Amino acid sequence: MSRILPTVGALLVAAVLQAALAPYLAIGQVVPNFLLLVVVTIALVEGPGPGAAVGFSAGLVFDLLGSGPVGPMLLVLTLTGYLAGLMHENMFAEGWLLPLTVLAIATLSAEVAYGLILVLLNVGGPFWSTFLTKMLPGAVYNTVLALLIFPWLARFLRRETSITTFQRLG
Amino acid sequence: MKLPQPERPSGALGVVIALVVVSLVITTVWYREGDRGPIHKLRTGVQTAAAPLQAAGELVTRPVRGVFAWASDLGVSRSQLAALRRQNMELRTSVAGLQEARQENERLRALFGFVKTSNLQAVGARVIGRPTTSYERVITVDRGSADGIKIEMPVLAGDGLLGQTISVTQHSARVRLITDARSGVSAMIQASRAEGVVKGMVGGGVAFAFVSREATAKAGDVIITSGFGGIYPKGLLVGEIISASQTPSSLFQDIRVAPAADLAGLEEVVVLTSAAPVTAIGSGE
Repeated sequence: MSRILPTVGALLVAAVLQAALAPYLAIGQVVPNFLLLVVVTIALVEGPGPGAAVGFSAGLVFDLLGSGPVGPMLLVLTLTGYLAGLMHENMFAEGWLLPLTVLAIATLSAEVAYGLILVLLNVGGPFWSTFLTKMLPGAVYNTVLALLIFPWLARFLRRETSITTFQRLG
Repeated sequence: MKLPQPERPSGALGVVIALVVVSLVITTVWYREGDRGPIHKLRTGVQTAAAPLQAAGELVTRPVRGVFAWASDLGVSRSQLAALRRQNMELRTSVAGLQEARQENERLRALFGFVKTSNLQAVGARVIGRPTTSYERVITVDRGSADGIKIEMPVLAGDGLLGQTISVTQHSARVRLITDARSGVSAMIQASRAEGVVKGMVGGGVAFAFVSREATAKAGDVIITSGFGGIYPKGLLVGEIISASQTPSSLFQDIRVAPAADLAGLEEVVVLTSAAPVTAIGSGE
């Protein structure tokens, strides 16, 4: 229970930020995805099972907040949470390179997968145009934000362990 | 220090497979159910709950942006001038508020002046939410079904067509802008009467698609709604052509349009509650 509450709290805060703040942090038409960042962070801290469950919840919220079809981000964040959670055991204390790499790959993969599903569902535009104008800038923006959010959120989620920035989490 | 036990991947795999199946079921149900289906109703509920949050975000960020603007003009602080600075801040806030009210008044007069001359029935609304994802150009306004708003009603900004309502709750509505990649507006070139469809582009621009190669189109031509499709009345100003070109391999011309409505700093809009056809505003008909 002590680990569920911070996770649920982080998810709720991310949902509120996505609805209320994210639109005003947009650079051009690229809107940050706080729900994605929280899912990846929770997955890295808690593991694949919680990562998938939180990804499912966050994806549902994301889809319901938007105006597109309900389901694409649900699927993407569920899988992203699971796959990022598989790296949970490999979060070593030696440096920041591995967490940074995982965060970057996870955000890029999620953006590409989501954009690809929208293209396949015929609610997005042409793939390469979407890739260059939405997916890639979105992944870069989210990765930069992840660098700011990850250490603090990881520490908040695992308060019983003495986590410093990018220190071993597992 | 007690370290958590590592999770067994096999157990998590079962969880994720189950969740993926549920995700696919939800996606399928979403597409197959009607607008009154459970997931659509759930979205309406979420949007109802999110509207106050979006309004709060709009409200909070607006003065913050204003504060940053005028705070940059302040000189070096001195403790003995604290009282004077406070007074200065109050006066600046007061002046900014009055200036804001004056500008808003002018914008609303312009909006309703346009509607009045067009013989349209309309409801004014304030923008309370901006796009929450990168893949959509959808805003939220503070008027809903309680104010007579329904889906597929045209929405105008000061200078022209903005979009249409796509979902409505009791006290809010979502408006898909013409810059959204999923939007499509039947339109025509005012001078040559060449018809086509104004579509949002993924990269953010607006295209005038499906215009015949034989049609006359050039930069500066005005685009207005054609009235086809039953949503937008004929003659609403959409924008102006900024470039028109042809490629040998294409059946249609490649035309880019600058929307007449300023979509960037949008604060107030007008929702046309009567879709009565207008008689070609500024079209010469």
